[in-house]
Amino acid sequence: MDDLFLSFVPVNSILHRLDPRTKIIGLMLASICILKASSFMEITLIMFVFLILLFICHLPVMHFVRSVRPMLLFFAILFLVQLFFTEGTVIFSFKWLSVSYEGLVLGTIITLRFVFLLLFASLLTATTSPSRITAGIESFLRLLPLKHIGISSHDFAMMMSLSIYFAPLLYDNFRSLRDAQISRGLDIKKEPVKAIFSISIPLVATSVRRVEEVAMAMESRCYSGIGRTSMYVMEFRRMDYLFYLLYFFIFSFFTMPYFKGYIII
Amino acid sequence: MIYMIHINNLSYRYPDGTLVLDSVSMDVHKGEFVAIAGKNGSGKSTLLRHMNGLMLPSEGSVVVKGMDTIDSSFILNIRQIAGMVFQDPQSQFIGMTLEEDVAFGPENLGLPQEDIRKRVDMSLQDVGMQEYKHQTPGSLSGGQKQKVALASILAMKPEIILFDEVTSMLDPYSRGEILGLITQLHENGTTIVYVTHRLEELVHADRLIVMENGRITHNGYPRVILSQGNVVDSGFEFPPVIELAKRLCDSGFIDPACFPLSREKLMEALCQLM
Ligand SMILES: Nc1ncnc2c1ncn2[C@@H]1O[C@H](COP(=O)(O)OP(=O)(O)O)[C@@H](O)[C@H]1O
Ligand SMILES: [Mg+2]
Repeated sequence: MDDLFLSFVPVNSILHRLDPRTKIIGLMLASICILKASSFMEITLIMFVFLILLFICHLPVMHFVRSVRPMLLFFAILFLVQLFFTEGTVIFSFKWLSVSYEGLVLGTIITLRFVFLLLFASLLTATTSPSRITAGIESFLRLLPLKHIGISSHDFAMMMSLSIYFAPLLYDNFRSLRDAQISRGLDIKKEPVKAIFSISIPLVATSVRRVEEVAMAMESRCYSGIGRTSMYVMEFRRMDYLFYLLYFFIFSFFTMPYFKGYIII
Repeated sequence: MIYMIHINNLSYRYPDGTLVLDSVSMDVHKGEFVAIAGKNGSGKSTLLRHMNGLMLPSEGSVVVKGMDTIDSSFILNIRQIAGMVFQDPQSQFIGMTLEEDVAFGPENLGLPQEDIRKRVDMSLQDVGMQEYKHQTPGSLSGGQKQKVALASILAMKPEIILFDEVTSMLDPYSRGEILGLITQLHENGTTIVYVTHRLEELVHADRLIVMENGRITHNGYPRVILSQGNVVDSGFEFPPVIELAKRLCDSGFIDPACFPLSREKLMEALCQLM
């Protein structure tokens, strides 16, 4: 369970202690900046911000390498598509394939954008326990007029927390089934279709049983979905306000129009 | 004596028609340690799950501290009074860290934040897992997970704890530790209902209930039941100690009234013989 994609790593750091709402807003603003980034200068700045956060979050670099690793193939394809299919000054060609300067730049920037989106997202999930993320999202949802379309923010948050409770369990289940089938001679690389069936069919069967067990454990502990309180209270502290101040500066830096003109030169 | 649990003519039928409990009647008194034993499939878990309203009777009634489980307005109250620890250490973990898992129950009770924290710390301390409270369960052994499961029930301040074969997936050492915690709770006044198919775990029980095919076949003092011949039919394996004690008893060397249930007691009995 510990090497789960986008998992929470409980240690004590400034980032861990921040209010979940501060971190969620931070991720949203960071995503906007990342998606707007169109020059190496901006990407470098984003990387700089990430490195600072990495430094203060007290987590091993390996954790972030692990969150990027499963997506490497996706990043590679993204990069290659941009590299070969962007028109412009040809800098290299081999038979019918040609690489343009523009393609190289665009490919690198677009790929790095996705890498950083993922890295910032894993900063949030690594430093914030899922139940705190849920609590944060619930408090945002409460501001939306969801009631008018027939959804209560509480139901929504409950649904989210249930899937958070069940996800690690299902993953754990998947892993033990996969290992069991491999030890019985299943070769996933050679017979991918057979592998899918021989893992997914028992997975559904055992998952249903285990989900029932967890549901029973929850009911046993008086879960009814209503009248719940939380061990965590959400409150903004001095550090949170400091972060909002930083957000303001960094964000306006990124969105300022003259900034774009300046770096293109 | 005060009834904590009063079960009257309870029958349970699964929707597919299988009769799993057949007119079961039994009581659990305040402060008692009741062990329920029987073969796999004899209906032990089903019976236990009726004791905190996880399952509801098809016929008959289950009353916990004066509250009938069939009345849904009592159900949360009943579950707070009668907590349950399950067999599988993995699938009763709710939350990402130990602290969150233990907090889950008190959070459901709607307690204020400081109370929740106090209860979490106290119950983790009671089972000796306080130092791990910020860890994820992935790093724990089966025995440690069961301790946390027990802590998560203790945090709800129950009066009765129902244990469903909680040691069956554990190594002997952790089994001993968990049993130690349970006996300690019993000594402090908690009512215990303990389901097992291991006879050697009955040493601490005040009373033994043996189940077979959804019925109660024996209900009484463990040593009396075990010293009678006919429990063998219920199909459990006797641990060597009890097997030996039984043979000595059957051949008249040991008085059935002081039937030894543990190695130490058998040792004493043998010393007396010599
Ligand atoms: N969902 C179900 N539908 C039908 N029968 C079931 C179901 N779950 C359990 N049973 C049956 O109920 C009987 C008693 O089960 P259980 O109470 O778990 O026994 P024990 O805990 O003593 O092993 C078993 O024979 C089992 O096959
Ligand atoms: Mg059972």
